Amino acid sequence: MEKVLTLFRKYGWWLAKGVGNTMLIAITGTIVGLLIGLAIGVFRTIPRPRNKFLRVLKKIGDVLLAAYIEVFRGTPMMVQAMVIFWGFALLNGGLTLDVTFSAFIIVSINTGAYMAEIVRGGIMSVDKGQFEGAQAIGMSHFQTMIHVVIPQVMRTILPSVANEFIINIKDTSVLNIIGFTELFFQTRTIASKNYDLFLDYLVTAAIYFALTFSISMIIRLIEKKMEGKKNYKVIGSQNMDAQSFAKELS
Amino acid sequence: MEISEKTQYVSPENDFDEIIRVEHLSKNFGENTVLKDVDFSVRSGDVTSIIGSSGSGKSTLLRCINLFEEPSGGRVLFHGEDVTKVRNKSAYRTRVGMVFQSFNLFNNMTALKNCTVGPRKVLKVSKSEAEDRALKYLAQVGMADYVNARPSQLSGGQKQRVAIARALAMEPEVLLFDEPTSALDPEMVGEVLSVMKNLAATGRTMIVVTHEMAFARDVSNKVVFMDDGVIVEEGDPSQVFTSPKEKRTQEFLARMLAEKN
Repeated sequence: MEKVLTLFRKYGWWLAKGVGNTMLIAITGTIVGLLIGLAIGVFRTIPRPRNKFLRVLKKIGDVLLAAYIEVFRGTPMMVQAMVIFWGFALLNGGLTLDVTFSAFIIVSINTGAYMAEIVRGGIMSVDKGQFEGAQAIGMSHFQTMIHVVIPQVMRTILPSVANEFIINIKDTSVLNIIGFTELFFQTRTIASKNYDLFLDYLVTAAIYFALTFSISMIIRLIEKKMEGKKNYKVIGSQNMDAQSFAKELS
Repeated sequence: MEISEKTQYVSPENDFDEIIRVEHLSKNFGENTVLKDVDFSVRSGDVTSIIGSSGSGKSTLLRCINLFEEPSGGRVLFHGEDVTKVRNKSAYRTRVGMVFQSFNLFNNMTALKNCTVGPRKVLKVSKSEAEDRALKYLAQVGMADYVNARPSQLSGGQKQRVAIARALAMEPEVLLFDEPTSALDPEMVGEVLSVMKNLAATGRTMIVVTHEMAFARDVSNKVVFMDDGVIVEEGDPSQVFTSPKEKRTQEFLARMLAEKN
């Protein structure tokens, strides 16, 4: 116990910085990844265009997106990080991109690939009648998606999105490979100074768990909120039942 | 007498009252032919009931009219313009309302929002005007008290009434009804039919695909009987119901009436 306190006293700020960076990238990466996933979902559900040129364009888009999803789901994020980080340096004449910005780009793109599939499942679960109802009042594909479909998709995919978020909190640890000063990187640095490896990593494990567990709890609260009120207010005093209403009309 | 005058055929060139005209319409789903060379027209104020057994193509005809199904052949004219060639289906659909068998209310919105979202986002009407409109039509269908209810909190009949208000809020020229009472419990059919009857009385142009023979007979001024993808017989309801000319119509009506008793 004494040792833990010493650790915090000595390296507390290091750990705090690690937590800050980890959360920064996990949050922004998940949000941007979700936006990428939603954009892909909107694009992929565009009805088959009549114009031949547009049809070819759509097809090319579909193939490119499929390739993006498969490649980024099918390779480890650690490898993606290296390829993107050093690939950029190569193109840029040896100058590397800012590490934090690189980390943000990598996590966003990687999450986007997973989110695209999650969103696809979410859109498929929305009743076809919802699309027709929207089209029947003249909504465009984009309007249908923004006003009707995506709000319903968000509700169904929230647990999966939360899951991605939690995965991202843990998986940003692989970004230590490009020297991003997230929690794991910081712990490694501390361990190389005090040589108390077991304790350092145990504490870090506890911190990771505290982060993910509190996120789980928050998400659960949001889910409950999203279910909405069970009740609605009937307004007006002459609330008639269906039968008497029918009678009155006929 | 007045009604039969209305259904009389007038040549399309000089008939300004004609809203929709379907010419030589055909529809195939793969090898399946669902509609064969259907001709059909609707004039302003017409209440047309399309009857026929399941699989006769009546719903497909309705869905071809607002382009939910792309016709395989023929034309759909809206005020003389062929809408099957129109690029912007949305603009056309704002003028042709649709009420579905399964209501298709937006689950993520209240009854009020269901009725305002179209006017606001599609017709770009101001928020207050959209709400005034929505309240007016919700009142017309007897659902003004339920503006804050979500679809999941309403009964089938109530949902369908809100769906009718949603279609009305777009102030379309024609309302299409695709078996609007078929998904309802028997005790809720009446409330929806009364609303429709009320609409017909206010001079709304309506095309109704229905199994409700009483509605077809008493409310509409034109009945179209379809069988096997073709229009077998059409005309004044009193004529079609009391003295159908075609054998298939006679058989269908006899069967429908037998089921009722």
